[in-house]
Amino acid sequence: MKNKSSILKWIFIGAVVCLLLVFPAIAKSRYQVHIVNNIGIWILLSLGLNIAMGYGGQFNLALGALWGVGAYTAALLQTRLGVPFWINLPLSIISAAIMAAFVGLPSFKVRSHYLAIVTIGLGEVINLFLVNQDELTGGALGINRIKPPSLFGFPINTDERFYYLILIMVILGYLIGRQIVSHRIGRAFRALRDDFQAARAMGVNTGYYQILAFAISGAYAGAAGALFAQWNSYISPDIFEFKSALIVLTMILVGGIGNLPGSVVGTVLLLVLNEYLRVFERWQLVGYGIAIIVVVLFLPGGVVQLAGKFEDFRQRWLARLTKGKSNVEEQRNVP
Amino acid sequence: MNITSIFIQTVIGGIGIGSLYALVALGYSMTFRSMGLVNFAQGSIYMVGTYFGIIWYRGMVMGLHVPYAAAFLIGLLCNALLGILLERIFRPLAKLDLMFMLLATIGLGFILDNLFTIIFGAEGFAVDSPLSSTPWNIYGIRVLPQMALLIGVSALLMIGNQLFLSKTKLGMAMRASAVDFEIARTMGIPTNRMNALALSVGCMMSAAAGILAAPIVYVAPSMGAAVGLKGFAAAILGGLGSIPGAIAGGLVFGVLEALSAGFISSQWTKAIAFIVMVVVLMVKPSGIVGEITIEKV
Amino acid sequence: MFLEIDQLTMQFGGLVAVNNVSINIKKGEIHGLIGPNGSGKTTIFNVLSGYYKPTGGKVSFEGRVISDLPAHQITAAGFARTFQSMRLFKSMTVLENLLVGMGHHAKVGLFQEIFDPVAVHREEQKFIEKAMELLDLLEVADFANELATSLPYGHQRRVEMARALATDPKVILLDEPAAGLNEIETESLRKTLTKIRDLGVTIFLVEHDMKLVMGICEIISVLDYGKKIAEGTGPAIRKNPVVIEAYLGKEDDQ
Repeated sequence: MKNKSSILKWIFIGAVVCLLLVFPAIAKSRYQVHIVNNIGIWILLSLGLNIAMGYGGQFNLALGALWGVGAYTAALLQTRLGVPFWINLPLSIISAAIMAAFVGLPSFKVRSHYLAIVTIGLGEVINLFLVNQDELTGGALGINRIKPPSLFGFPINTDERFYYLILIMVILGYLIGRQIVSHRIGRAFRALRDDFQAARAMGVNTGYYQILAFAISGAYAGAAGALFAQWNSYISPDIFEFKSALIVLTMILVGGIGNLPGSVVGTVLLLVLNEYLRVFERWQLVGYGIAIIVVVLFLPGGVVQLAGKFEDFRQRWLARLTKGKSNVEEQRNVP
Repeated sequence: MNITSIFIQTVIGGIGIGSLYALVALGYSMTFRSMGLVNFAQGSIYMVGTYFGIIWYRGMVMGLHVPYAAAFLIGLLCNALLGILLERIFRPLAKLDLMFMLLATIGLGFILDNLFTIIFGAEGFAVDSPLSSTPWNIYGIRVLPQMALLIGVSALLMIGNQLFLSKTKLGMAMRASAVDFEIARTMGIPTNRMNALALSVGCMMSAAAGILAAPIVYVAPSMGAAVGLKGFAAAILGGLGSIPGAIAGGLVFGVLEALSAGFISSQWTKAIAFIVMVVVLMVKPSGIVGEITIEKV
Repeated sequence: MFLEIDQLTMQFGGLVAVNNVSINIKKGEIHGLIGPNGSGKTTIFNVLSGYYKPTGGKVSFEGRVISDLPAHQITAAGFARTFQSMRLFKSMTVLENLLVGMGHHAKVGLFQEIFDPVAVHREEQKFIEKAMELLDLLEVADFANELATSLPYGHQRRVEMARALATDPKVILLDEPAAGLNEIETESLRKTLTKIRDLGVTIFLVEHDMKLVMGICEIISVLDYGKKIAEGTGPAIRKNPVVIEAYLGKEDDQ
């Protein structure tokens, strides 16, 4: 029995999908498409971090550096060996995921605040490597003239064309993320986060899942890295500093930590606000810091928490309109 | 200049920088001990305290050139007030999920770092030492007078802190409050004020460290990040929450860093020092001086 | 040789929490562990479930030494436990709590888990069915989709037991299951324990509620200051002077 709000939800989703599909055609300028592409890449980062941190409780503050690992892998393969994007992408994903697994090793012995500092530090070590190994990585100057991908000879070298590539990656990333968190892995992650010892008592192989959480966030970062490198055509170590991990952190906190759609919401919100407010980068960062504190103190569930309150209200409003009993109870479904 | 005197010089330099780390590590340990949270903004507080003092000494405020000692005290005072303010901010945080607590302090550090970058610009400046800048020559070992000042005053501060904690009524009340919040409360100890005090002391120490080290190290808004990380590493090395541990950890860390910079390579000192911390955490999480706590299931 | 605790010793620094304790539990038994507070009961449980490695002695299960295995492997070997301080997963519903316990039985591997939603769904449905059966058994099936920690205390206790059973154990360690329950609820617990035993699960039980212990346990081991001071059937224990002394002695001190 389809109830009214379920139909409304599908109409809404349908509208969004249509909008997304034709966006480049209706966008006001090329620049707008460029911004949206940037948002897409950050969404991938947010999804990855949220799965590891929001669901699994694993502090992976080396995420920026892992993004860098993905980017440099793709950049080096492309510029030195001419490897095409379609091979770079999985290689970036794998290399970042493996690096992430190493970063996650200390999580066996080390608890939250220590883990946070360890991952920050390991991220710094990775960055140091990127800066210092001049011959390999181009040092502080980075790598430029990275060629864009091409599909059977058709070059994906404009923002409009990139848009569709990024859109597909984000949708895939989201669907995969959803599959991960809705079933056994997601439950194991949440068990880790809710009560580590109890999880162990229930047979959850906590070591395995901790590393898996890191690896998954690494995989997303790697994908974002490969995309970024061949989209931006230029990368340098300072892009992947700790600051970027903090920005992703702010995005998932503001959106809703532990909530997958929250990652998307938070990312879009912050980056769009950036564009509209057009403040200097420093003030942006101060703003992010304030956003973190405000969210932590007053709205730990992020924007999504607000929507939750709104959802209840909307249900009751609909029920009053249809003169039936409230749909709130009937909305509960088996997980 | 033989290898021994170079070695001793390096070690002294290490003790100097180690005193800096020790003072910052004290901040971490005192906050952790009293409020149970790790203050990731400690590095930023160190930076902020340095600026609070140095701007007077350098005549950046209305052209007034304040003598070094006075600037030092002003910096300490400002940071002490900052500590009291922080206690108010941290109070609700201490009850939250660990993750949120950490994130909020990280956010705070971020705010301070970037705010001060906006105010003072990303470029830093060098600070002249109030003492002579020609090094003393003691039996062939060269020591900068400022370095001696740093080590000397730091030692005084640390000893003073130790005496305060163990000999005075206020100090003991602070320790009681840290050991068991609830019991201290029932005994009539104003625990919030004790926490504020602990934080103030920690912040003052960081300011002292920064102002003393300013003529040696470059002063810039970005100075907090590296020192914050290393100070935390030092606190962990000595056992988070342990006061003597923080001091020991800081000194060891400083000497290690100086030796590796002097004899290995300065580029990787950050990484090396850091890897040491990771290893310590994994092998003996309670640090070199810290106590063993049993996790109750 | 079903479950054998062999000269187990557990020392923390200078404190000897468990001192050379040997207990033999037979398959299908309901075995009780009692003793004054601090006598080492929960510590033994913690060793059994793998949180602590014994400083002396060992634990063997079905002929295999398990005291050196990590916790999740001990669970895989057939042990489940509940906690004195009840530790349900607070972000999950009742059903999800149980599904976590069943996770280690899953046949679906990592790759399929992410890329083969059909197989995942199929297996999950089977698990959900089994979980609902357990919830039915413990009479909390109506709350399957409620947040586990939102239930009244007595119900939460039952969810915890259902969760432990969801891991498909051969032995279940119950840490003070009657704590906080009133008389009616305790009686209901007694019936539940019988149902669990009828499922073929061996029960090892730590409890303070003497009526429950005497009423359901076939054999009872008594600890005091980390040592085993007596073992036997309910009536035998009740009359044992050493046991009486241990408990009375504590009352005198207080």
